[in-house]
Amino acid sequence: MGNYFTMIFSRPFPKKQIKLLMVGLDAAGKTTVLFKLKLGEVVTTIPTIGFNVETVEYKNISFAVWDVGGQSKIRGLWKYYYQYTEGLIFVVDSSDHDRIETAAEELNAMLAEDEMRDAVLLVLANKQDLPKAMPVHELTDRLGLHALRGRQWFVQATCAVQGSGLYEGLDWLSDQLSRR
Amino acid sequence: MQRNKQVAMGRKKFNMDPKKGIQFLIENDLVKNTSEDIARFLYKGEGLNKTAIGDYLGERDDFNIQVLHAFVELHEFTDLNLVQALRQFLWSFRLPGEAQKIDRMMEAFAQRYCQCNPGVFQSTDTCYILSFAVIMLNTSLHNPNVKDKPTVERFISMNRGINDGGDLPEELLRNLYESIKNEPFKIPEDDGNDLTHTFFNPDREGWLLKLGGGRVKTWKRRWFILTDNCLYYFEYTTDKEPRGIIPLENLSIREVEDKKPNCFELFIPDNKDQVIKACKTEADGRVVEGNHTFYRISAPTTEEKDEWMNSIKAAISRDPFYEMLAARKKKVSSMKRH
Repeated sequence: MGNYFTMIFSRPFPKKQIKLLMVGLDAAGKTTVLFKLKLGEVVTTIPTIGFNVETVEYKNISFAVWDVGGQSKIRGLWKYYYQYTEGLIFVVDSSDHDRIETAAEELNAMLAEDEMRDAVLLVLANKQDLPKAMPVHELTDRLGLHALRGRQWFVQATCAVQGSGLYEGLDWLSDQLSRR
Repeated sequence: MQRNKQVAMGRKKFNMDPKKGIQFLIENDLVKNTSEDIARFLYKGEGLNKTAIGDYLGERDDFNIQVLHAFVELHEFTDLNLVQALRQFLWSFRLPGEAQKIDRMMEAFAQRYCQCNPGVFQSTDTCYILSFAVIMLNTSLHNPNVKDKPTVERFISMNRGINDGGDLPEELLRNLYESIKNEPFKIPEDDGNDLTHTFFNPDREGWLLKLGGGRVKTWKRRWFILTDNCLYYFEYTTDKEPRGIIPLENLSIREVEDKKPNCFELFIPDNKDQVIKACKTEADGRVVEGNHTFYRISAPTTEEKDEWMNSIKAAISRDPFYEMLAARKKKVSSMKRH
């Protein structure tokens, strides 16, 4: 019975284009995430000089994912791209104990943007295969996620190099976004 | 002589793994272990893959950042406008797609630009933010994955207040916008014989089985790419250099029966025993002549076999010389019209 309803509601009308931003510190694994999600699709587009942007088709939703970031000085520019963003993917290197505070600051700065008010937050706790990787509950604490108010969020353990966890993350996103 | 060989090997290593390549060059005293000397090697770029140069310059490591700055210092931007300078800069390496790397590179670029052109911008920061905005513009206007193309008005409002709180002249922003809209940044071409750029938009690509040419014949799974009247095969889809190259000139193709299904072969018509002109890379990296008198290939399905055979037939009958002439004629006549 439950399944029957999900089926009806999860494929409603024509395909939706959803704008997602992806942030995270250097070397958190953003590019790997993007490439892994694209895998299996034939890439014939002519490459463009500029930021990594990919469209990923999944579960009747078309996601457009931008790699954004940089110093605070250029944050003003990104604001124009934050508009109509429905979701934020935050990629964090779970094994990078030294920079977890910096990552938390970056995340909070991003969430504080007015344009991100309604965006849902998916945290990819990446590099879970590394021996020193912090588990999900520890990352949740250190990123201060419990303190978030009025925000849908979810932490997914991933190992982008192997591709594990990525689609589970997208599942959560498409679930959240198709309810809107 | 020995030295030249080692430099060539260093370049090859660099193209596969920039860090290891540089390490090799330093260990063999071919490049000095200073940011200036490495920057000069990269700037000269002889035989280097520009994506590899971009990867090396984009690393967050302190030393790599020093090399980045030394590399930017080698550029001369005097009397160039911002977009001209950016076009020149972005031709010397392939800009990586990660936002943080672009950020560092634009910051280094802006410092150098302002040093070469004092007085053009009020501050280096203004130049840096504007350069970053230009890269964003190029992405938005020309990356097919971006559906929502910004107008010039949006570009102008996006740059409000970046001039130390004030606005830049609107005319400057309009000119930048038009320039990028009319002419995207070019993907830099590699120096030397790197083949990666050959393989964009091939006629056809896919996995096929290929019968070996040695005495003991075995079937090997290879990734085949058909482009430019040549058939290339790779061990993995991600390999940058092919294991073998088969020029299709003077070859014919036919269906054959074999224990493997869906087979076809490439052969020289009327000459059974002649070895086909082709080359392959040995396991130790040497490039040798091929030893096939025919190439037998098996496709996974009948449909794929038919598609491959049709594409190869079309490639064989195409005359590159004729096409070159046709392209040239077209260019001349379009120039006359303008």
